[in-house]
Amino acid sequence: MTAVLRISKLNKRFGGIVVADNIDLTIASGEVLGLIGPNGAGKTSLFNLISGVLRPDSGGIYLNDVSIVGQPLFRRARLGVARTWQHMLLFRSMSVLDNLMIAPRHYAGESILRVAFARGAVRAAESAARQRAESILLRMGLTDTLHLMVTDLPFGQQKLIGLARALMNDGPLLLLDEPMAGVEGAAYETMQRVVRQEAETGRAVCVVEHNVSFIRDLCSRAIFMANGKILQDGSVEELIASASLTELYFGV
Amino acid sequence: MDYLVTLGVLISIFVILSTSYNLVIGYGGLSTVAHPIFFAIGAYTAGLLSIHTTIPPPVNVLIGAAAAMVASVLLAASSLRVSGDYLLIASLGFQLGLLQLIKNLDFTGGPGGLGAIPGTFTGPLRAPIYLAIAGGLAILTVLAIRGIVRGPYGRAITAMRDEELAFTALGRNAMSLKIVIFAIGCGFAGIAGGVYAYYFQYISPDQFEVLQSAAILTMVVLGGMGTVYGPVVGAVLLLAIPQAITFLNLPSSVMAPMQGILFTLLVLLFLFLRPAGILGGSAKVRL
Amino acid sequence: MFDLVILTQILWTGIATASPFVLLTAGFALTLKVTGLWNFAQAGLMAIAFYTMFFALNALGLPVVAAVALGAAVTATAALVIEAYGLQVLRNRHSGNLTFFIFTLILSEFVIYVLTLAFGTEPQTLFKSILSPVSIIGDIAVSDWDKLAVAMAATGLALLWGFMHGTREGKFLTAVADNAPLAELYGISAIRAYRVTAVIAALFIVAAMYLIGSHGGIVPNTPLELVLTAVIATLLGGIGRVFAAAAAAVFLALIQSFSILFIDSRWQNLLLYGFLFAAILLFPRGVRLIAIRR
Repeated sequence: MTAVLRISKLNKRFGGIVVADNIDLTIASGEVLGLIGPNGAGKTSLFNLISGVLRPDSGGIYLNDVSIVGQPLFRRARLGVARTWQHMLLFRSMSVLDNLMIAPRHYAGESILRVAFARGAVRAAESAARQRAESILLRMGLTDTLHLMVTDLPFGQQKLIGLARALMNDGPLLLLDEPMAGVEGAAYETMQRVVRQEAETGRAVCVVEHNVSFIRDLCSRAIFMANGKILQDGSVEELIASASLTELYFGV
Repeated sequence: MDYLVTLGVLISIFVILSTSYNLVIGYGGLSTVAHPIFFAIGAYTAGLLSIHTTIPPPVNVLIGAAAAMVASVLLAASSLRVSGDYLLIASLGFQLGLLQLIKNLDFTGGPGGLGAIPGTFTGPLRAPIYLAIAGGLAILTVLAIRGIVRGPYGRAITAMRDEELAFTALGRNAMSLKIVIFAIGCGFAGIAGGVYAYYFQYISPDQFEVLQSAAILTMVVLGGMGTVYGPVVGAVLLLAIPQAITFLNLPSSVMAPMQGILFTLLVLLFLFLRPAGILGGSAKVRL
Repeated sequence: MFDLVILTQILWTGIATASPFVLLTAGFALTLKVTGLWNFAQAGLMAIAFYTMFFALNALGLPVVAAVALGAAVTATAALVIEAYGLQVLRNRHSGNLTFFIFTLILSEFVIYVLTLAFGTEPQTLFKSILSPVSIIGDIAVSDWDKLAVAMAATGLALLWGFMHGTREGKFLTAVADNAPLAELYGISAIRAYRVTAVIAALFIVAAMYLIGSHGGIVPNTPLELVLTAVIATLLGGIGRVFAAAAAAVFLALIQSFSILFIDSRWQNLLLYGFLFAAILLFPRGVRLIAIRR
């Protein structure tokens, strides 16, 4: 199993608040890593550091052994870092299809010159993207939503579309920020199934979640964060059993 | 009759201006008011080249557009680095500063303006020929912008406007997209400037002041920001209505402010009651 | 060649002439700081302030104090109406920056057009004469207007400083400026802060327009130029730094005054815009002479 993501001595602070305290972490291909901890522990900040929303004060981030810490946000996605957001951030004015079509790693329609003068290549790329979008929606059982406006979908389906959008990126790393928050029933099952499938194809997945049963069902390994530090790294059962962590998490 | 043809040329020029401005602020979501200065750069470049060189007029107009594009890229690249909001004030400062420069230099004709721009066509058909040229360019501009905002490029523009962070995190270069949109919009303004200079053969700095910014803004807001044809409607209205009012034969000291009051009031009413403009149906554009 | 007396005279006259601009800049910069808005509607307020006082003094024949008081009342009311029924509505709708800009600029233009209709385009002054009694103090010509201007600017700034640092209401303004949602959590009303700011700015505007209007002719379009100088000074001072902006206003006026010694007068305006370019390109966060570690 190769290390898809390797973080080495990562540090970040905002004024007096430490969001990342000497973080060392690796995620292997095919692994689903759970990231748990109380609010304000630095979990989303870690995602922001990995995806490039934040620049660390010091430390290294390696994707398949290539350093990405100097790369701006948009380039990291092109290198293969895909993520979802706590608040989904779907494109409100657009349909489900358009939300997905804008999401592949490389987007043909990004260059006005190409759009104007390389119509054939753009058409081909659009067609390929559409096929990918349709197959992802098929896996989720959401084929009917293709032409609906994302704002017309129920909450659970919107979250699934957020995941679908991230999956348009065929890169090696997938970061999921609280994908289950507010989701239940069929959407929950679908989310689990799809994430497990992704891991089986070799993607390295990291999930921030408060929903412990999701973590238990899906993750082989989990880390517990508090105050920007990784306090424990091990199997989900070990973490759950640990009394000191329970105290930190629930304040009991 | 000649007067109607001139009105037609003017409307065509302002259709180019309002449509290209709408690309920048309505579709691109960029806050800027400096559109008239790129109109001015196109006009002055074409005008000065026609006076001092023998370069053919169409080439001069293109050079004017290129000059406007280069200036716009410089402005956008330096201001957007600070923040998107900063572009608003930076563009205002750029417009006023450059106008000040024009007013103080001799070779631009100073505050009195640049006159005696050489004629291109002579004879009674001059005006109709220009109407055909300006009208043709206006149609081309609307079609070009329509092509840009539909299709994959337009999808990127809409996504960027909806959620820039998520857009960028998907791998899209938002900064570069903004600069390109700005450059395209300003390039069209430059073309309009070249045509304007050649038709009227006289340009002066006060034709490109903040009041002009407000006029183009009014056309876009009234017609419908974020729709392709809205600015066209806005341009026609804003130029045709004052002409209609002139037939009321009011003294000019009353008429000029009355027109101003009418249009500013319309903008304010639309801003609060119907922000999507005349053609804007759904409230898709978050104003 | 550079006589000390001449230099001192230029310095004094420069500071005096700068004084109304200091007041305008302070009001503008304060509004930017607290509301985050480049409030071009203040051009409209400037016009309202001047023409109200003009009307009160000339058409109604009121004494100066009453005219100024009326001007203050009308301008402050207008400022509050704009804030409560214009800006707050747009805020509630989560409107973008461009919308606010359109609203404030177009509103000012509307006001200016209405006043053009009412008062015409001839330059007007508050009083029949703009001449002010001059005394010679140590070889320097000091007019009564000069003294009033400097006194008003100094007092205005001092009162503002005292208000913002010494009173609860004033500190609330800073809290809202720093982080409005957080301030709301602590029970500080952002809306109230915006309205207090609107009134303060209105009063500064009235004071400034009294000075400018008694010193030279004003046409309805003048306020648009005035607000632009406030923008430049605010940019140079740094967004959020009211007193730095005021200092920048003085600095700009002095540069312009002293430049007479070196350059043609017609280039003076260009100098102002040269500074604007420099500010935009080189100092987008304002010129920092003292690095403040917060």
